[in-house]
Amino acid sequence: MNKPAVPLILDDFEPQEREVAANLGMPGLRMQFFRGPVWGKTPAQLQKQIVEGNNPITGKPVMAELVELLTRPLTAEEQRTGEMRRDAGPETYTGTPEELHKLFLRKRYTDFLPVVLPTEERVAEMLKFTSHPPDKLLGRMNPGSEAGETWTYTVKTAAINAVMAGAEPEYFPVILALGSTGMTAVNVSDNGFMAGAVINGPIRDEIGLNYEEGAVGPFAQANTTIGRAWSLLSINGGNCGKVGTTYMGTIGNPMNLIGIIMAENEERSPFQPLSVRRGFKKGENVVTLFTGWGILSAKNWAATVWGPNMDYPGIIKEIYGTQDGHLFGTCAVLSPPIANFIRDAGYDTVEKFTEWVTGQVPGAKRPPAGPEINLGVRKSGGMFTVIVTGGSNNNYFSMGGMVPTQSVQIDEWR
Amino acid sequence: MKLRITGIVVACIGLFCPVAPTDRPLLAAGPAAAETITVYNPMGTPPPITLRPQAPRLDTLKGKTLYFVNTGFIGSDRLMAVMTEWFNANYPETRIVYKESGAGVSALSPALWEEITREGDAAIVGLGH
Repeated sequence: MNKPAVPLILDDFEPQEREVAANLGMPGLRMQFFRGPVWGKTPAQLQKQIVEGNNPITGKPVMAELVELLTRPLTAEEQRTGEMRRDAGPETYTGTPEELHKLFLRKRYTDFLPVVLPTEERVAEMLKFTSHPPDKLLGRMNPGSEAGETWTYTVKTAAINAVMAGAEPEYFPVILALGSTGMTAVNVSDNGFMAGAVINGPIRDEIGLNYEEGAVGPFAQANTTIGRAWSLLSINGGNCGKVGTTYMGTIGNPMNLIGIIMAENEERSPFQPLSVRRGFKKGENVVTLFTGWGILSAKNWAATVWGPNMDYPGIIKEIYGTQDGHLFGTCAVLSPPIANFIRDAGYDTVEKFTEWVTGQVPGAKRPPAGPEINLGVRKSGGMFTVIVTGGSNNNYFSMGGMVPTQSVQIDEWR
Repeated sequence: MKLRITGIVVACIGLFCPVAPTDRPLLAAGPAAAETITVYNPMGTPPPITLRPQAPRLDTLKGKTLYFVNTGFIGSDRLMAVMTEWFNANYPETRIVYKESGAGVSALSPALWEEITREGDAAIVGLGH
């Protein structure tokens, strides 16, 4: 175009937008900032707030400054060309453990909880559990938006972050499988997205993943530290989760700390494992990645249902109708007793149950979203995913918005 | 019986005695407070940046065509309407053209890009919410 242009941006997003502009090759891009929000304001309010207001960052009147940004001659710096190379600091740090813990906190290498310091010995031990060389490129990651820059990281980067998370070396192939996808566990979105994963196959028992009572909570080292390792790899390997630049969740999401790492209770489930339903062979070690809002909602509490009213298929279908299918659809996490209720009600496969709940044949091509997104119309329920995990001590289940994104074989990373 | 009681007493004393240095395997295995260790930097690698110059600025807005491009965030149309009123009042010789981007919040449609290149002198694009 080669015409002067100025973007209008709310001042809350200044650090992030400056970083985005720098990533696109214009570190000094001229932008105009003003106080938000704009959404929901009347013209009179916008007139007073913005047209007659000042840029909160420079203190100058918005409109006069806007004209200046279009007409003031460019500086030499604003016309620079060439390549700007960067690094992420030295390869190692030396200090006392106390000094290093403080340094890691200051540099935002952590999730603000204590980490295991990644010494050469600990990282080497982690690397013993994969045949892949340490300097192999493992993945490319951006914060979940094309506007963000894409960082790269190696197998060794993943090992360093796995050590920091407190993961045992035998968990490392799962962590590598997650890292190989490039999907961030800490999405930039102002919505506050979380990430999760479902693990199928014998590796569940091999590394001690919990799929009985407390299956979706932090009640086993494997579930907890695999999720934490994925989050730390996202924060450090992918430079995600930095408030002001690569993170802007308006109220945030506590599940960004360790995600939700689930193993399916294949032994007590009446259904085929999720991985098999997604095209893998039974017995293959597979991790399926999810993104969404999470899975807990007060709408899902059905504990006072007894006797003939224990129509769990019907309850789930009703809840499905109340869920917001926009973006992530509906994910049902069923304890084995609930899954068995559903089978006994005549739905002996997840596919049959899904067809009944959603009114659509699973895998059928959905009509394009069309203008729905722009108009803000909410699609009830959306895509329906079923996971079976947890104990058999009561009839509980949970439903929320979470959608599978991709499934990856784990054994390739041994 | 006496031996048994003595044994219980010894065990109880053991519970309340200060822990001997030999009973501190965690501390003994870790580095002493002043000892330094070397650890890895956990960061990945940022991509190189190819610097691009900004487009030359206008010497004046007088007689120029200024495009307002609405990228679709809610309320941008209202904001651009009140901004247009300001330009009409303060820069009456500047022609304002209002358009919707036609390609979402992060891009302009090729047709609009060509139109601004051909007919416009400058653009204001919003809203980065």
